[in-house]
Amino acid sequence: MTDILDAIVAAGLTGRGGAAFSTATKVKAAREHRATLIVNACDGEIGAAKDAWIVEHHLHELVEGAALVAPGRRPHVRYAAHRGSRTAAMLHAAGLHVLEAPHRYVSSEETALISLAHGGLGRPMTKRAPFIFGGRDSQGHRIAPTLVLNAETLWRISQIHRNGPDWFRSFGTAADPGPRLVAIGGHIVRPGVYESAAGVTVGELLDLAGGLRPEVTHVGVGGLGGVVLTAAQARTTIWDTAGMKAHGGSMGPGLITVWNPAECPLETTARLLDYAAGESAGQCGPCMFGLPALASDWRRLTESPRPEGAQALLRRVALLGRRGACAHPDGVARFATSALTTLEPEFAVHAVGACSARRSRHAQYA
Amino acid sequence: MNGQALWFLSRGTGVVTVVLLTFVVGLGVVTAGRRRPHGESATVVMGLHRWLSLGMLVFLATHIITAIADGYVPIGWLAVVVPFTSPYQTLLIGLGTLGVDLLVAVMVTSYLRHRIPERRWRAVHWLSYAMWLVAIVHGFTMGSSDQPGLRLVSLGCAVVGGLLVSWRVVATHTDRERRAEINAQEWT
Repeated sequence: MTDILDAIVAAGLTGRGGAAFSTATKVKAAREHRATLIVNACDGEIGAAKDAWIVEHHLHELVEGAALVAPGRRPHVRYAAHRGSRTAAMLHAAGLHVLEAPHRYVSSEETALISLAHGGLGRPMTKRAPFIFGGRDSQGHRIAPTLVLNAETLWRISQIHRNGPDWFRSFGTAADPGPRLVAIGGHIVRPGVYESAAGVTVGELLDLAGGLRPEVTHVGVGGLGGVVLTAAQARTTIWDTAGMKAHGGSMGPGLITVWNPAECPLETTARLLDYAAGESAGQCGPCMFGLPALASDWRRLTESPRPEGAQALLRRVALLGRRGACAHPDGVARFATSALTTLEPEFAVHAVGACSARRSRHAQYA
Repeated sequence: MNGQALWFLSRGTGVVTVVLLTFVVGLGVVTAGRRRPHGESATVVMGLHRWLSLGMLVFLATHIITAIADGYVPIGWLAVVVPFTSPYQTLLIGLGTLGVDLLVAVMVTSYLRHRIPERRWRAVHWLSYAMWLVAIVHGFTMGSSDQPGLRLVSLGCAVVGGLLVSWRVVATHTDRERRAEINAQEWT
């Protein structure tokens, strides 16, 4: 039997939770440090649904994947899901050890789950070194070596184990190999979780769920830590790392949300930024003060669109990156920057007192 | 110098000491409060806090030396450092002595601040409130009844100090408020 680690290396599997870090590197480090495993099935990003889908349809393979990564007679595996969620109920029903996380945006972050598993609060911890090596929290409490992998990542490991790396690489592109799930939601005919792979356009992904309706103006890719595309951009943008990077984003945790064309996209963004600000864990200054300030910058800019306002917002954004214990401020900064760029024509329309959403709504009911 | 001059000098420096002490403690309260001054104003406040406390020592020393040297009432040099040993007004003079002892502790730790743990220095520095309080009581109760001005000064200092301390207790900071607000949310 070939070692699963070699198979993961050959397959080139990357984390499906959004960061797209090499899974092989993590699994290797976990073995060396005898790390316990937490399976992240929280669907923490806004609009995420694939973890729940895996638990519902492929739980057996998920457990198999977890056993491959955390070997031993009685591997210590915890399955993290939001408290009271359907996912948690299904995991409980299967008799698995469920780590119930509060229904918070940052609580499903890797180190927040590790903190929670060690009896702490579900808040991200500062990573002096990866917690896969073990370490200490900010109060100096010991944190045992812990590996956190997304549910889809583990499901893919079980598939690689069964079908081999070549099968895995037959999907996607050379740079972004393997099948990957995409959760499609929002203003679309058949919202749901779809099997796909890198290399197609975002528009083709949306075709799986019934396609872009003509009235759709904007599409969000990657949720709160992702980017905003116009419908035209979505039709041509290639769904792979390079294609998404051209728009400042990534494939992230695999989710696409079609924005409701009846709502002003500036308002949709404002709502998301307000939510992001409210989800700060209140630990890092740039996050606890910066995000509410960013959200109010955005609202101010929406009310009176002026170049100075946009510059002020970008200055604020520049203060957020890489300054938090987790990447929450980074993600929100990315989203705000992308929204500012993509919605620039919208600001121009607002500057003369109009709004494209009002127009399209009239068109819809005409 | 005749006895009456010493008596006046002792009273005068005592009153100035209480006023200066209140001012120094007030600056300290402002610095320790949650809406502490920032930047240049913080430097000014801190500088005043330190230099005025040194200046106050001159008045305090004069107050003590003249009160004993005057000799009109028996106090004794031992009562400078050991509380409640003065034959005259054992309790009230003793309060003043207590204040001196606390002051010595606060000053010694402040001069050794860079050599001792911050929390030790802080713990001792908290005694400043007790020092200020005994000084006020000492000042008010020893103020002669035929000179209401002296008592009024002590009373005024008590009111000003009381207001500053209440401000420190009540004043909040956005940082603290936001942390408390977020902490109250569900995190486990």
